[in-house]
Amino acid sequence: MENLWYVAGTIFQLWMFVVVFFIMLPAMFGLSLGVTEVYIQVLVKILEWATLRIQRGQQEQPSAPIPLHTGIIERVGGSMEEEMWQLRCSRPEAAGAFCLSDGVYFCKKGLESIVEDQVTQRFSSEELASWNLLTRTNQNFYYISLRLTIIWGLGVFVRYCVLLPFRIALASTGISWLVIGTCVVGFLPESSAKNWLSELVHLTCYRICARGLSATIHYHNKENRPQKGGICVANHTTPIDVVILANDGCYAMVGQTHGGLLGILQKSMVRSCPHVWFERSEMKDRNTVTRRLRHHVAAKTKLPILIFPEGTCVNNTSVMMFKKGSFEIGGTIYPVAIKYDRRFGDAFWNSSKYNMVSYLLRMMTSWAIVVNVWYLPPMTIQDGEDAAQFANRVKSVIAHQGGLLDLAWDGGLKRCKVKDSLKEEQQKMYSNIIVGQNHIRTTKTCSETREDQ
Amino acid sequence: MGTSAAGNRLCVISEEGGEIRRLGKRFRKLDLDGSGSLSVDDFMSLPELQQNPLVRRIIDIFDTDGNGEIDFIEFIRGVSQFSIRGNQQQKLNFAFRVYDVDKDGFISNGELFQVLKAMVGSNLQDAALQQAVDKTILSADRDGDGRISFHEFCTVVDLVVSHQHGHTQLGPLVQKVLVLNKTHQT
Repeated sequence: MENLWYVAGTIFQLWMFVVVFFIMLPAMFGLSLGVTEVYIQVLVKILEWATLRIQRGQQEQPSAPIPLHTGIIERVGGSMEEEMWQLRCSRPEAAGAFCLSDGVYFCKKGLESIVEDQVTQRFSSEELASWNLLTRTNQNFYYISLRLTIIWGLGVFVRYCVLLPFRIALASTGISWLVIGTCVVGFLPESSAKNWLSELVHLTCYRICARGLSATIHYHNKENRPQKGGICVANHTTPIDVVILANDGCYAMVGQTHGGLLGILQKSMVRSCPHVWFERSEMKDRNTVTRRLRHHVAAKTKLPILIFPEGTCVNNTSVMMFKKGSFEIGGTIYPVAIKYDRRFGDAFWNSSKYNMVSYLLRMMTSWAIVVNVWYLPPMTIQDGEDAAQFANRVKSVIAHQGGLLDLAWDGGLKRCKVKDSLKEEQQKMYSNIIVGQNHIRTTKTCSETREDQ
Repeated sequence: MGTSAAGNRLCVISEEGGEIRRLGKRFRKLDLDGSGSLSVDDFMSLPELQQNPLVRRIIDIFDTDGNGEIDFIEFIRGVSQFSIRGNQQQKLNFAFRVYDVDKDGFISNGELFQVLKAMVGSNLQDAALQQAVDKTILSADRDGDGRISFHEFCTVVDLVVSHQHGHTQLGPLVQKVLVLNKTHQT
């Protein structure tokens, strides 16, 4: 019995030693021992070898289907007018009148959506070009060779038996130190020393958590990092985005107050530095939310606010509509683009499929999380621009930098239906097309609806 | 996939067909309640379709047996209408069926009005729409029966095949599947 305690005690001491000297101290100073980099390089070599092996295997076995990871539709990107023009074969006498081929346009668009639509595919994980030796992504791949299977088996062993316990221990250490550290700092009086200490505690613990996920983060353009009194907006893929961004700077978080473990975390964090947590009832009152955020931004000494304007997790292939609420607060907007490398692990949280715990377990049993973060130059609202237009401008900048598709669709469509006004918009566009030079009278006067062709 | 004998034959072929597997996956994904056929609600879960004014017509064209739901064979057949290997006749047939609501082989005045109304919504007055419909039928109707037959339709509408973009890249395998299904039914 005593031996057991003795062994447990030694293990615990050893663990603390490792954590403090190899992880915490470097984390405090923002350094890295380079272990993760080496690991990633080894992984890349293995995955490249695996890809070649699979391709060779597919050539030898022509009966195995080759997965089509790109879309199966070839779309032409034209406006409604251009496409109808083409359908009518550019016959000038048909211009501006109803033509029987017009119905085909809508049917063709409908068929394209049925086979492959742009919206629902954003709410599930993207398919990989080649298998990355994780069981969970093995959708279309067949048995290729013994060596590959052995490597895969080794991978399973390493990920589940070696990396997973290590990561879980590290993550729990990080979170518990965050709670304790912020509590302790909260007892200090308000001073610059307190702020500095609070930042140190936050940074260190977030870096420990990032190590707990084997996260390799590449920051680009650090000179554009969000400053105090500003608002940082980023595209949203997973709750881990917060950890990723907080590794390089301190932010004031915005969110709902939760119960349980997360609630304890929130309460202790707010003692040491001013995060903005809302009660669930307050979230519905947009004015209260905006007012509190405005207060925060106006005090230029407070930490930059971190907001995800999409409002929901999207699968990192595109950026969906930004809700304009965040852009009405005022202040400078610091856009940030986040792009995950899918070969090492799928970071997207499909909240309808996995709950938080199983999602975190999946994260911890992936190879690693490799992510690129680009800080973009600050933007402010221009004269004559309203919040929605400003939001779109910021969104396209982020999409362009991250190599993501810029969609106008609302991320909320994950859970609710399209508004009728969108359908009416399509009908209106079509009506404008077939109304032309005196062919058909409309409810409005002709001069209002005249359009050039 | 379907439980008919045609469906079983389809399963054997799908082992080799990458495109059919892909479409099968899409079919399963759209089939939210797992019933094996797509209802109108399943289609309406796609935001892009919700905003399409002619979504009911599309579903109706897919539904060849008229039971209100679309099984896998109907799905494949419907999707292949705009295949890269489709011919002029196929496309004209499809375009005709957009307007022929009761599937009697003729486009009547009322049917044309109905479809045009769906496309413009409330943006044009009914009188103006009726005018456009009358004009179209007048110009297309050769035998004077007040409605447009398929033959008359083909002479008026001239869909150029070579400029058709936005087609699905379905290969000869799909055509083979459809032929097999037809021979099984005859």
